[in-house]
Amino acid sequence: MRLKRYSVVPLAGLLCVAASLFFVASCGGGNSNSSPPPNSNPVPSITSLSPASATVGAPAQTLTIAGTNFLSSSTVTYNAVAHTATYVSSTQLTVPLSAADLATAGSFPVVVTNPAPGGGASNSVNLTVSAPKNVVTLDVNLGPTNDYDNGLFASVEVCEPGSSTNCTTVPDVLVDTGSYGLRLLSGAVSGLTLPAVTDASGNDVQECVQFISMAYVWGPVVQADIHLSGESASSASIQIISESPQYPAPSSCVPTSNAQDSNSVSALGANGILGVANFPQDCGSGCTAASNGVPQYFSCPSGNCQITSVPTTSTQGQVWNPVALFSQDNNGVLVSLPSVAAGGAATASGLLIFGIGTQTNNALGSAQVYGVTDQAYFTTTYNGTQYSDSFIDSGSNAYFFLDSATLGNLDCPDNTGWYCPAATESFTVTNTGTNGTTGSLTFSIENADNLFNTGYAAFNDLGGDSGTSPSTDYFDFGVPFFYDRNVFVGIAGQTVTGVTNVPYGFWAF
Amino acid sequence: MKITSGVLLILTLGAAPAWAVLGEYESSVSLDQKYMRGEDRVISAQGYRLHQITSPNGAVVTEYVTPEGKVFGVSWRAPFIPNMEQLLGSYATPVEQAARAQTRRRGGPFIVRANDFVFVSGGHMRAFHGSAYVPSLLPKNVSAEVVR
Repeated sequence: MRLKRYSVVPLAGLLCVAASLFFVASCGGGNSNSSPPPNSNPVPSITSLSPASATVGAPAQTLTIAGTNFLSSSTVTYNAVAHTATYVSSTQLTVPLSAADLATAGSFPVVVTNPAPGGGASNSVNLTVSAPKNVVTLDVNLGPTNDYDNGLFASVEVCEPGSSTNCTTVPDVLVDTGSYGLRLLSGAVSGLTLPAVTDASGNDVQECVQFISMAYVWGPVVQADIHLSGESASSASIQIISESPQYPAPSSCVPTSNAQDSNSVSALGANGILGVANFPQDCGSGCTAASNGVPQYFSCPSGNCQITSVPTTSTQGQVWNPVALFSQDNNGVLVSLPSVAAGGAATASGLLIFGIGTQTNNALGSAQVYGVTDQAYFTTTYNGTQYSDSFIDSGSNAYFFLDSATLGNLDCPDNTGWYCPAATESFTVTNTGTNGTTGSLTFSIENADNLFNTGYAAFNDLGGDSGTSPSTDYFDFGVPFFYDRNVFVGIAGQTVTGVTNVPYGFWAF
Repeated sequence: MKITSGVLLILTLGAAPAWAVLGEYESSVSLDQKYMRGEDRVISAQGYRLHQITSPNGAVVTEYVTPEGKVFGVSWRAPFIPNMEQLLGSYATPVEQAARAQTRRRGGPFIVRANDFVFVSGGHMRAFHGSAYVPSLLPKNVSAEVVR
């Protein structure tokens, strides 16, 4: 090639020099109206790119360039970096784009260059790589009270219904794959006027949500537009956790008469809770008739709070997992957290991605799907014993499993309820979903006293007990389980391509 | 839960909703009968008997009774957490005290090991469960494992 071209170039140059004596314009690049002289390469031109745009995090793919005057010797740059071009025809080239090429947002110029003689660079056409509309950043840190171990937080924007200006972004909202719906402290949304959700009698609906710690949150149910990345839930029912409640919490909901509420940042350790677990609503049929007697939704005419009926409808109804209200990417979430080394890390950050198998960034891939029961449990087997009330919960800040006596007295000297093995100990269990999926899982537990002494927020190997004897034990796979994994939560009743026989939703990992 | 071959099963449909309080006699009846109204099933087992009260709101409360009629354990499984004072009587006090003293464990099960009282509250939203028992009241040859 080189030899041949060497012999051709001087000839072309001579011809040009000769010709230029008569027709100056016919030599040199740039005039598209004139044909190049024989043996001079044309200037290429790009008309379009396919795809014309991409999303951050998209997998490696082929970029097809359409245009004119492409040569087998044409070269291509993407973002000013040479990429190996494949010549398809004079009007089409292809180049491979790596995942790294698509890892950051921006407009990246694509240019085709033909070699001399003649030749030169084409026009520049941008490939737009945009931030995905279904991704929210997750941060593991100590939270607003600076004392939350393995706290998984995100920011949530809420607006007055229909408004794009009367909005506020609430940081440090706990992301909880063990509950349903958005609950925000009243102080975090004090600048907004959010309309009340009312019951059939026209009374404002109040909600009391219990925690297994014997605490609870209490306050009105209101409507708000929820914005998470590019996704929206309009006029969604959310709970306001009242820092100064209008009514005392009903005794039927308060586990003990002087039980402590969690209606403050200090008690909650967060500005709110974003529940994205496997059911659309936070109560379901139990709360659709007051006569059922589930002490969760109340109305308080004349200040006397009584259980009230609240439908499961998406407007003027129960508090919903907002993901189920999105117009797309509404069949579940993917929680993706990085690995955290033994000994912990000061902080960690990852992604909450909406939808399962709906975009290039949320494919199930090789994840195994475990169906859950109507109570959102699956079965974990350890040492031949089945624990059928096991679950995965980003609202739990550790692996909570078995009991100290069963494990051989792993109690920490300094921190009650935590495990402190002398050396890092690993546990292998088998999980079984309602759909028959079975898989083995191994995790490690380190000395919790030592972990806590670091002052860090992120601990991969943190564990404590879940029961008092084998009969009450279960496995609660908390935040540490999520590290170094992609964990999917499938919402009951929604369709996920390729997933069947999971009527109450699923976990996949 | 081991049940003898000669199981005694009594169904008292529509009977007064009631359960006895932990540590007290079987005849003790909860004052608040509003939301546990349900079916009381009495099952005789080896060395003890149990009442299983199933309510329309989806709650199942089980109480474990010694041959002498004392409640040595209770358990629940419900879409909400039952009122602990109704269920545990005076044992609700150590539960409340322990709840106020909690540190660092977040979102995980809540366990109380007090003097002669063991308690665990677990599960998650829409599906709570838990149990409590008094070790000194366990009938002879009956394991705490039966309370579940």
